Amino acid sequence: MYLRAANINIDDSVLVQQSQMGDATAMERLILRYQNRIYNVILKMCGNADDAAELAQETFVKVIESIDKFQGKSSFYTWLFRIAVNLTLNHCQRSSRTATRSLDAEETEPDGTATQTLRECLSDERAVDPAAVAQSRELCELAKKCLLQLEEPQRAVVVLRDIEGMDYAQIADVLNIELGTVRSRLSRARSSLRDILEAMLK
Amino acid sequence: MKPNTNLDELLSSFIDGELSPRQRTEVQRMAAHDPSVAKRLRQLQNCRTLFCSLPPAEAPGDMLEQIRQSLERKTLLQEQPVAARRATGVIHLVFRKLVAAAAMIALLAFLGAIVYQVVAPVSGPDPTITVAVAPPETISTDTGGRMPPMVVEDKGFCGRLEFQTAMFVSTDAFVKRAIGVCGLENLAQPEVMGNRSVYRVVGARADICRLVASLGSLWNQMDSASLHVDRLQGAAPVVVEAATADQVATVVARNSTEASIETAQVYAAMNHMARTMPGSELPSTLSDDMGSLWAMHAVPMPKLTGPEKPTQAIHTPAEGTAQASLTIVLLRTTK
Repeated sequence: MYLRAANINIDDSVLVQQSQMGDATAMERLILRYQNRIYNVILKMCGNADDAAELAQETFVKVIESIDKFQGKSSFYTWLFRIAVNLTLNHCQRSSRTATRSLDAEETEPDGTATQTLRECLSDERAVDPAAVAQSRELCELAKKCLLQLEEPQRAVVVLRDIEGMDYAQIADVLNIELGTVRSRLSRARSSLRDILEAMLK
Repeated sequence: MKPNTNLDELLSSFIDGELSPRQRTEVQRMAAHDPSVAKRLRQLQNCRTLFCSLPPAEAPGDMLEQIRQSLERKTLLQEQPVAARRATGVIHLVFRKLVAAAAMIALLAFLGAIVYQVVAPVSGPDPTITVAVAPPETISTDTGGRMPPMVVEDKGFCGRLEFQTAMFVSTDAFVKRAIGVCGLENLAQPEVMGNRSVYRVVGARADICRLVASLGSLWNQMDSASLHVDRLQGAAPVVVEAATADQVATVVARNSTEASIETAQVYAAMNHMARTMPGSELPSTLSDDMGSLWAMHAVPMPKLTGPEKPTQAIHTPAEGTAQASLTIVLLRTTK
């Protein structure tokens, strides 16, 4: 029932207005609409499923508590992601070892095929096949591990751009930074990711 | 190849479609002419694709329920402290009110006790002594006229002055002569029993005061002098031990029975303290009949303001003036 309700194509601003007037169903629709994306971004940033679930939950609780104060200066989408990213960055700063522990626990050696794919990717012998990446669990884990080794501000821009698919303006709005900073930070993050991947394959 | 930061930034923005058309054309031209730029572009594109291809994670199915529970917990946590604080505040307020009320009651009781001790009513005349009731006389206090004149009913004075002396014979003769000089009459039966003489005189307060004043020179010859002021309704008399001539005169001169008794009580307490306390501060203070302790007692000394001048009143007591009765007892001290 919730999923059906979430799929009804009602604009965010309408649902926000209804929520501000005390319509709990509207708020439920907003949560159902964004819960997977929020959870996914948080998980990619913090690397721990339990923490991600808790942070996503905390994000929505904060949204419900603050919906009356939302004035619509930015879109609900960027406001929601700003809350989620800020909570996650604070969490990561508080417990920077959590991600490392999680990775240590799940550490798996990539099999030969995955390693070869990655090497080819890095050496530019052929373009990366998204299907191959998706099917290879080892490759996914390796990419996530790389991501978690980035500094938190760089990780945030990569996740928002490459995983959530935000444009630069939205990223700047969510992180409250300049557009030029997004550009340079993303460029440095991709260079760092490449360096980290190369170091892993050696 | 060492990455060129500016080129990487340009290529990264190109991949993301964040360049202007002119910049895009420029990057395409560079990649077409420079194989290293083209290679770097492909590397960055592959890197981006790698992360874009990561399978999205789905939120836990009970996310909405968890949010609901979290909100309920928060609400409970916020409500409980408020309720607890409110209850604590009420209890604290009631406790403070009770303590304040108890303190007020205790303070009032204490003040009441003090006031009662100071102004305890002395009711009824001494049944054993008959004194004429004088008409009220108007007096004013010596407080600079700040208080209005008040009318006090004088019911007289009745007391006994006891001397102990080794010079019994000369003292006895002096007292007898002083009574005669003051125009008073000894109403007591002559009682000279070798070691003791008793005189009883009744007259106007002024006459008794004059008698006491004339006895002043005797004090040097006395071993001890005590004044017993009778109280009304058979209560025990007030005894002023080691009374001085000034103290006796002051007590007798008060304008009412109650005032005489109160003054005698004050002198009794002061003399008792002077005897029991070490040092000479208090005795020196007591030697001044209008000293600071007397001032502390705040009983204003009366001053006659009636039609008759005080000196006249002393010599010729008007009829109906309050009577005073003084019994003088002389005891021989055996050495």
